[in-house]
Amino acid sequence: MIKVLICFALFGLLASATSSSAADNARTVVIYDGRSTDVSASAEPSKDLWITMDDLKRATGFVVKPQGVCRDELCFPLPAKRKDEFILKKGKATWFNLTAFATLVKQPVARDEKNGTWYFGKREDERGTYLASLEAPNFTLPDISGKMHSLADYRGKKVLLITWASW
Amino acid sequence: MPGWQKFYHDLNDKNFEIISIAQDTGGVKDAGQWITAAKPEYTALIDDKHVVTQLYNMVNVPTAVWINEKGMIVRPNEVAYVDNRYKAMHGIDAGPYLDAIRDWVANGDRSVFVMKEKEVKERLNPPSSDRTMADAEFALAEYLYKNGHGDDAIPHFKEAQRLDPENWNYKRQAWALSDAEKNYGTSFMKEVQKLNGKPYYAPRKLPQKP
Repeated sequence: MIKVLICFALFGLLASATSSSAADNARTVVIYDGRSTDVSASAEPSKDLWITMDDLKRATGFVVKPQGVCRDELCFPLPAKRKDEFILKKGKATWFNLTAFATLVKQPVARDEKNGTWYFGKREDERGTYLASLEAPNFTLPDISGKMHSLADYRGKKVLLITWASW
Repeated sequence: MPGWQKFYHDLNDKNFEIISIAQDTGGVKDAGQWITAAKPEYTALIDDKHVVTQLYNMVNVPTAVWINEKGMIVRPNEVAYVDNRYKAMHGIDAGPYLDAIRDWVANGDRSVFVMKEKEVKERLNPPSSDRTMADAEFALAEYLYKNGHGDDAIPHFKEAQRLDPENWNYKRQAWALSDAEKNYGTSFMKEVQKLNGKPYYAPRKLPQKP
């Protein structure tokens, strides 16, 4: 009886080891707005990245609505005749083509195939937005003790912003 | 940094702040010792994702931007040395620039060194599509490096450098994280020699004070 139990335990260990290594191989990471999220990508061979609607929301904050792909007030309509390029129903899951969406919103995508990592850069609507207003773009960064500071906190003072590096 | 600390301390103006930002993938590990040694009274931040390099479309260090009380850019990206330690290499004299800052701090938007809106706009350009793609490749490379995949990061650092060849931040940072000779077949000094008299920094134009 004990032998049988050990056998089962060993089998269980082996099975979980195998399945976890399979999961590692299929690991996909999406970096969006500088934040990384593990997603389950479609296993079908494709140069595009298809993710589930749940992962779309988790990784990017965007959701698909009748009027388009939206986050808060921001909405990008999908071209009516090309919806199949962006949304695919397969079995119980609905998949979204995040790389086709990036092309639509003019967003750079860098991919590392080996590590299953996709970096989504700034969309066109986010780039160079200060060039018309000349308002210095805000940022929030830590000091050496980890305390966060925003440029906007210094409104009312003249600010000399200087970048440097140790290298 | 000790130079800026002395400059800031001597100016002693409560309506003037220096925000210095280290562009260092290694974060506190690489930049921390310099900040600790300088004991700055001004704001010293650490940017381990090169957020400011991207946001302000910067290509080199040190680069400064003047921002007025209303949060508007009144002098965009330009080289900003506090002393002449490396003058032999780049030929930039720190003195006139420090005088310009003192004038700005004293006179605000009336200073001759504050640019008109039109001039600021003429000097600022939206990032090119190559630059935007370089930003993404560089950020991906940084992510891989920080997650223990330094070798896998190298092709992406190289792609960022290819897309934005004038960007010294993207070159020097990548070389510093690696054996530059072995992995990139070059070094900072070799690349500077290749300039062959071409300026290392975009020339800075300061008006004459009347």
